[in-house]
Amino acid sequence: MDALNNLMYGFGIALEPINIAYVFAGVFAGTIIGMLPGLGPISALALMIPITFAMEPSSGLILMAGVYYGAIFGGSTSSILLNAPGVAGTVATSFDGYPMAKQGLAGKALAIAAYASFIGGTVSVIFLMLVAPLLSKVAVSFGPAEYFALMVLGLTAVVSLSDKSLVKGLIAAVIGVMISIVGIDTQTGTERFTFNSIQLLDGIDFLVVALGIFALAEVFYMLLRGGGGKEVPRNVIGSLKLSRSEVKQIAGPISRSSVLGFFTGVLPGAGATIGSFLGYSMEKRLAKDGDTFGKGNIKGVAAPEAANNAACTGSFVPLLTLGVPGSGTTAVLLGALLVMGVTPGPMMLEQRPDVFWGVIASMYIGNIFLLVLNLPLIPLIAKILDLPRPLLLSMILIFCMIGVYGMSFSVFDLLLLLGFGLLGLGLRLFGFPTAPLILALILGNIMEESMRRALQISGGDWTTFIDKPISLSLLVIAVLSLGLPLLKKRRNKAPSAAH
Amino acid sequence: MTRLNVNQWLALVLALVAAAYLAMAWQIPTFPLPRPVDSDLFPKVLGVSLLLLATLLFFEKPSAIAGTDDIDHEATNGPLLFTPWARVIVTSLAIAAYAFLLVPLGFVLASTLLCVGLTAYYGYRRHGVNLASSLGVVLALYLTMTRVMDVYLPTGVLPF
Repeated sequence: MDALNNLMYGFGIALEPINIAYVFAGVFAGTIIGMLPGLGPISALALMIPITFAMEPSSGLILMAGVYYGAIFGGSTSSILLNAPGVAGTVATSFDGYPMAKQGLAGKALAIAAYASFIGGTVSVIFLMLVAPLLSKVAVSFGPAEYFALMVLGLTAVVSLSDKSLVKGLIAAVIGVMISIVGIDTQTGTERFTFNSIQLLDGIDFLVVALGIFALAEVFYMLLRGGGGKEVPRNVIGSLKLSRSEVKQIAGPISRSSVLGFFTGVLPGAGATIGSFLGYSMEKRLAKDGDTFGKGNIKGVAAPEAANNAACTGSFVPLLTLGVPGSGTTAVLLGALLVMGVTPGPMMLEQRPDVFWGVIASMYIGNIFLLVLNLPLIPLIAKILDLPRPLLLSMILIFCMIGVYGMSFSVFDLLLLLGFGLLGLGLRLFGFPTAPLILALILGNIMEESMRRALQISGGDWTTFIDKPISLSLLVIAVLSLGLPLLKKRRNKAPSAAH
Repeated sequence: MTRLNVNQWLALVLALVAAAYLAMAWQIPTFPLPRPVDSDLFPKVLGVSLLLLATLLFFEKPSAIAGTDDIDHEATNGPLLFTPWARVIVTSLAIAAYAFLLVPLGFVLASTLLCVGLTAYYGYRRHGVNLASSLGVVLALYLTMTRVMDVYLPTGVLPF
């Protein structure tokens, strides 16, 4: 009952006309920025800090929450239409969203993304309201050993998705981790793999790799296929309407991934990216038609979209209740709150209930705006497919360049982008999956840091990873996630050999 | 001697990369204070893992190369400059040239040149539409980034 009263209080704040205007503006701006490859929620939120500085803290955070949601959804549109995810959290959406767009079902894919995002976001807001204090306690009990095990599980779960070759999936993951540790080691200040280049001291930015491996490699691949003009049906967006059977098909994945995404988001470091990959991986395993994932299965769009939006909400739990940002994006939010004079943490509920409950209520409203705003805009957004293919290819190139240069102002990064584009083309041609590489790139640093911290605490004793029950269980699941597909393959081979 | 298959070639290249990586990992300096795990351990683990995986790949049966069926074979027989692989090489060179010319020429001029040039090279023949749309998109992006978002982009030879 308390939660309901508090929520009513929060709605009183969120429904003030000025705050409704902020939610609307935030969601709209976030969607547009998220659609541009290269400009993700972090840049969008960072750009909002000067705007929110003079605002009431509750209004400022309401605006930022809207931008965050909008950017994640906007990222999914560029994933589906161009195979160019502007945000790491929407990479998994492109696996089935882009094939659907190529089959002339872009409208349907975008509509599914909008519905799944809405439901994922709404379900997780309810969870946030009800179980935030309880979940924060569980997250607090996670030490470095548990985090390391969680990262390993996140990686193996994605590697196990590589249908053709587990070895190639693992190689891609190892390369991803190798890229992630380039630069100065934060614990010792030692340079690693920088080749004495000043530009590499800060490491290689995720955006450069992601845009290279996905967007630029896609352009190269299209060029190999004669400009790609042959296969994409022009002017075919397809219907936005979903049939009853389609609704039935996606209902399960959306509800399961919403819950999974929320819980993943609560764990610091995990967030929307792992949430979306885990959601995708889980549905692929559960689905009877799992072999059609990656070829335009609607469940493959619904699951990661529900999970990434739910994880966004989940990531507010450690931020609001512990004052610990779980991701780069929530770290920017924390910075903004501190600028506004609000210190998130256990005392926030008592000291600034207006901010806490105002934000939760505004998330409900933000989700409704997200749906109302994006569904009517889908045909307009999908028009991007009607552009003449040569012009579209050149424009994707310009978007990639501006995304990379606008972030780092470095010519060197533009050359790196080209290098990763060619690497992406090579990986694609030789059948290496790119998802493990990109996830390993994000997790590599955190994984190493957790591993080293755990070993420092244990005095170099490696059994620390199997002594703790949570860490042990996570590692066992990780090994199983790799072992089971192998066993399955062997079983499938045995009958065919007998024949 | 039997010919090596695709996986075996890839495995050899990866093994070479792993060996070079390991050699560099062994050169990472030790931290002055003794610690249970130093900066070099993780890279060494990665190098050894890549070497092991390369060995496994060497013995794995290769599947068909993913993109070969999709390559535009009609274009392969056309003029050398317009073959599928030439398109990739020319685009790569154009991107490299763009990177070096971005600051001296400025964002608007360099991006418009890249966009118009590559669009025409890819076979789009309506040059007026090409120029208008390229310039429009580049200008819109430039103004959004510089005026609305306060992100600096090089002006180069143009006065704005």
